[in-house]
Amino acid sequence: MSENAVYGMMAEFATPDAVTAAARGLHLNGFRYMEAYTPFPVEELDRVLHPRRRPWLPIIIFGGAVLGAVYSYFLQYWAAVLDYPLNVGGRPYNSWPAFTVSSFEVTVLFAVTAAFAALLLFCRLPRLYHPAFNAPDFDRASQDRFFLCVEARDRWFDAERLRDIFARHDAVRVSLVPQ
Amino acid sequence: MTQAIDKAQGDGAPLIESEVTLASVSEHVSNLVLRPAPRWWWIGFGLSFTLFLVLVVAAAWLFINGVGTWGINIPVAWGFAILEYVWWIALASGGTIVSALFYLTRSEWRSATNRIAESMMLCAAAPAGLLPIFHIGRQGLFYWIFAYPNVMGIWPQFRSPLLWDFVCVICYVIMSIMFYYVGLLPDLATVRDRARTRTQQIFYGVLALGWRGSARHWANYKTVYFIMAAIMAPMVISVHSVVGLDFAGGLTPGWHSTQFPPYFFFGAVISGLALVIMLTIGVRHGCHLQGVITEHHLNALGKVMLVGSLMLTYSYVWEAFGPFYASDVAERTMFLERVSGLYAGTFWAKTILNAVIPQLLWLPWVRRSEVLLFLISLGIIIGMWLERFVIVVTSLHRNWTPSMWGNFYPTFWDWATLAGTIGLFLTLFFLILRLLPIVSIAEMREIIHKDKRT
Repeated sequence: MSENAVYGMMAEFATPDAVTAAARGLHLNGFRYMEAYTPFPVEELDRVLHPRRRPWLPIIIFGGAVLGAVYSYFLQYWAAVLDYPLNVGGRPYNSWPAFTVSSFEVTVLFAVTAAFAALLLFCRLPRLYHPAFNAPDFDRASQDRFFLCVEARDRWFDAERLRDIFARHDAVRVSLVPQ
Repeated sequence: MTQAIDKAQGDGAPLIESEVTLASVSEHVSNLVLRPAPRWWWIGFGLSFTLFLVLVVAAAWLFINGVGTWGINIPVAWGFAILEYVWWIALASGGTIVSALFYLTRSEWRSATNRIAESMMLCAAAPAGLLPIFHIGRQGLFYWIFAYPNVMGIWPQFRSPLLWDFVCVICYVIMSIMFYYVGLLPDLATVRDRARTRTQQIFYGVLALGWRGSARHWANYKTVYFIMAAIMAPMVISVHSVVGLDFAGGLTPGWHSTQFPPYFFFGAVISGLALVIMLTIGVRHGCHLQGVITEHHLNALGKVMLVGSLMLTYSYVWEAFGPFYASDVAERTMFLERVSGLYAGTFWAKTILNAVIPQLLWLPWVRRSEVLLFLISLGIIIGMWLERFVIVVTSLHRNWTPSMWGNFYPTFWDWATLAGTIGLFLTLFFLILRLLPIVSIAEMREIIHKDKRT
């Protein structure tokens, strides 16, 4: 296996604390291209691995909500005031109190749709193939084991040194993952 | 503080049995869908599907002959189709209440029951969506309610509560599917990783979209799930309130009341909770989930149902007080007819089933008894059906003037439609039970982890 066909070095841990400690240790050693794979969210881990996360997700969802509000109110305004004005009980054509209900529903629909789309976008899904799946035992990442992968593109990537560090943090198994 | 609340909710029963581990919960729940179906599943599915075929026949008969096959006529022009639509959408709303509202309160008992509740929501939305289409008479033209540019040059009436209701329900269903799917993603990945046959690997592999559970995935997932829950909770309140507005917007005695939106929402809480409890008890035994669904959960659900019953009782009191406080003769005539007339039995039955019997839930041993909980829930579901009957039919049968008085007698096809929609619901639920993990495995793992720490 040539050097450039390696995706990274994957270590398997038995507990969330062990994987968090290992991630923290590697971060202190200068490693930056790391990703952890866990069966449930481990909050400390995310703070170690991605310390500077931008709040884009809520902003996109809010943008979706604004779009939905404008779209749905305008649709009703267009239909009831501009395109087909109809006098109902002497109410004004632009009877906004009656338009708020549908506007609210469509607003939240757009917000949730934006949230769903943003989740897929930020998780880079759907992506059925990923090199991480090549790691031995990786099917347990969705069950009861905690994995940490240092990617080969990291400037400090060195297989021997990583084996040492992982071993010091009680890794159950360490293996090289092909691309 | 949340822990203290959780302890109080469970009255001391454990949230999760101590022998359950990360590996065992992943294995057990995914085996439910990966292993061949047990015999009770085939029997249940077979019976449900047979009942569903009744709906197919009833719908075909309706399409051929028109709504005259039902007992509806002027003045009682809204019959079973509308009251059952309200009934089903209320049952559906209960699923979202358990799932979204109690996610926001960080109630840990919600994690083992939320998938059951959300699945129930989607299954109940199917009959709720069909019934109004059946009701409109010219079923092929239902799409006229969509706001779309058309050659007729007209638009739907955006000022009408009936249109609001349509917008609510369609938005609600689409949002619920997305909420459901986001919650499912990590579990689909677990099932994919445990699948051993090629077909299962491909099926769940594609459904899981390549979810890896990376730290980045989880961080985005948690943010999105929280925001979705925070949106779904007020959303579901709005959905059932607008169903109430369908009635409050009408001038019929017994409908034209400002309390209808919350009144209907309270009904959704109690009936939805009742169905969640019945399904939870069934799934708990059928799928051997006693380890993760404990007395703690049933106890907590029972308490929420009791709160629902108290809120509903409050509305019942107002409904009785209103006609006598106001000076409207028609309202009073209708109400007296409701409590002592032809349909008095339904009125008293729903009062007993929804307001009186649920008071038993004050007693801790009743909340711990599965049999009693199941029976009380069944009573509430029947009671809520009767309540919708009382609201829809008895209001219409004593309208403003005696010339607008008349009775409603359901026909065979009314009952067949009711049976058929129950069949449709159960068929869908059995399918979900077979295809998707019925307990949120990822959330259970989180709880097991927290449980081991403390």
